[in-house]
Amino acid sequence: MKNDLEHRLADLVAAVSGGEISPEDALSGDHSLAALGLSSLAWIRLIDTIEETFGVDVDLGGDLSALDRVDALAAHVSGLLDSR
Amino acid sequence: MKVPFSGTREGEAPLTWGQRLMWRAVHLMGPSQSFLNCPWVLPVYGKRDLSSVLNALGRMLERHEGLRTTFHDTPHGPVQRVARSGELTVELAQAGPEGPLGTANRIAAELGTTVFAHGEDLPLRCVVVLSGDRPRALALVFSHLAVDYQALSLLSAEWRALLRGDDLPPPEWQPMEQAALEGEESFLERSRRSIRYWRSVLETVPLDVFDHPPGEPEEQRFIEVGMESVALAVAAERLAERLKISTTSVVIAACATVLAVVSGRPRAVMQLVHSNRRDPRTQSLVATVGQDGLLVLDLPDTGFTDTCLATHRSALLAYRNAHYDPFEMQAMREEIGRIRGREPDLDAFFNDRRGDGTWPNLPRLSPDQDLTPLTAKTHTYVTNAWPGVRFKVFFTLGTAPDTGQLSLIIDTAYLSRETARAMLLAVETLLVRSLTQDVPIAAVRDLTPVT
Repeated sequence: MKNDLEHRLADLVAAVSGGEISPEDALSGDHSLAALGLSSLAWIRLIDTIEETFGVDVDLGGDLSALDRVDALAAHVSGLLDSR
Repeated sequence: MKVPFSGTREGEAPLTWGQRLMWRAVHLMGPSQSFLNCPWVLPVYGKRDLSSVLNALGRMLERHEGLRTTFHDTPHGPVQRVARSGELTVELAQAGPEGPLGTANRIAAELGTTVFAHGEDLPLRCVVVLSGDRPRALALVFSHLAVDYQALSLLSAEWRALLRGDDLPPPEWQPMEQAALEGEESFLERSRRSIRYWRSVLETVPLDVFDHPPGEPEEQRFIEVGMESVALAVAAERLAERLKISTTSVVIAACATVLAVVSGRPRAVMQLVHSNRRDPRTQSLVATVGQDGLLVLDLPDTGFTDTCLATHRSALLAYRNAHYDPFEMQAMREEIGRIRGREPDLDAFFNDRRGDGTWPNLPRLSPDQDLTPLTAKTHTYVTNAWPGVRFKVFFTLGTAPDTGQLSLIIDTAYLSRETARAMLLAVETLLVRSLTQDVPIAAVRDLTPVT
């Protein structure tokens, strides 16, 4: 069962990719966002948008692969929201 | 000929971050700043008379405030000043034996050798290339203070419609809006974060790009060696597909590996020239938006596959931290200079000039066709020389749609032109070999004999 946060993030992925990635594909978790065709620039735009939308500061100093799937992103953002 | 223009407003604003970067660069480079000029050609599609072509050019200046901007030093810092109206002087030239587009390319390159007077000149010059009395192409050069290569791609994209006389919606975002946005707290915070990242690298990076002392440079100290290699492009595409990363990341990985090996270090530190158009509003902005990111790549103990993946992650970090106020960045770099005795030299660069990061017209090959025979067609050549562009190493991936066009500017006090050529060929070999084996980093040393 996908939670609300994952759905919202999947919508953001679809938006920053200019519609090239559907929310359903982003949610399915079968592939990483890069493998779905999310460009580097769109990925940075996604992180910017997440920060603006949720008012969090996403630290990219660690393992970036944790931020390349919607479920992992959701867990990360959820952790940031909890620690505020 | 005079091309009059009359826009909807005039104004003055602080420089945008992109403009600040170029403002500093043109002043650092002085007479060698022609290096920064951007030659460009716009073909005249269909049969058009001269007046309709000049009309279209005038409308282009009316639409984009950055093309009718001059740049001025004031007691409050440098500013951009947009003129509402004025005239662009345009010369005419007949097409030579190389054809209209060939002639326009040659003239654009020639126009690019003259430095702009940024406080007085419009930031572009134009020659209309004719066959008889029929205009065939515009040869242009732009100041890099006004455009980057993404902006030029935008101009090319709208040029056909302008020639037709189509009604285009006015651009919603101009450099003065961008300057105001960059003064907002959220952007200033973004700038501070980027500067913290750069600072963390600058605190420990070696002070020099190379450990060996400079030798006797060539008379023109900085030379550019070029390479055209279809094999490089095809190999980069195949690796990118296999690893699910961009061809840009793959080519950066190869260039950074070769740089690390030539410098005898396990870590490559390079500035990445980055389009920086991540904010949707900047995507249609005709201005110079690009800034530099800072790539830090630690070569893995394994092979080139891991290097590509590590490069991709490091490049994302570099791009994200490529959004900053260059004046604040400079202040931080000067502070580091005071702490460490002098500023670390970061003059190793990579620039991918391809607008969309692809090669649209590569020859069709079967997916597993051996590329080794193709490498025999690769050629290298010296393209350019400057007395003072101040780079140690500058890789550029060019815009040719049908071949991998990789060039390398070197400081001949540190590297010979033979080494530069060997480095380019090593990039090609590394990419082609990686299709059939995971090339160990140790093997790259054998590819790059330093002379």
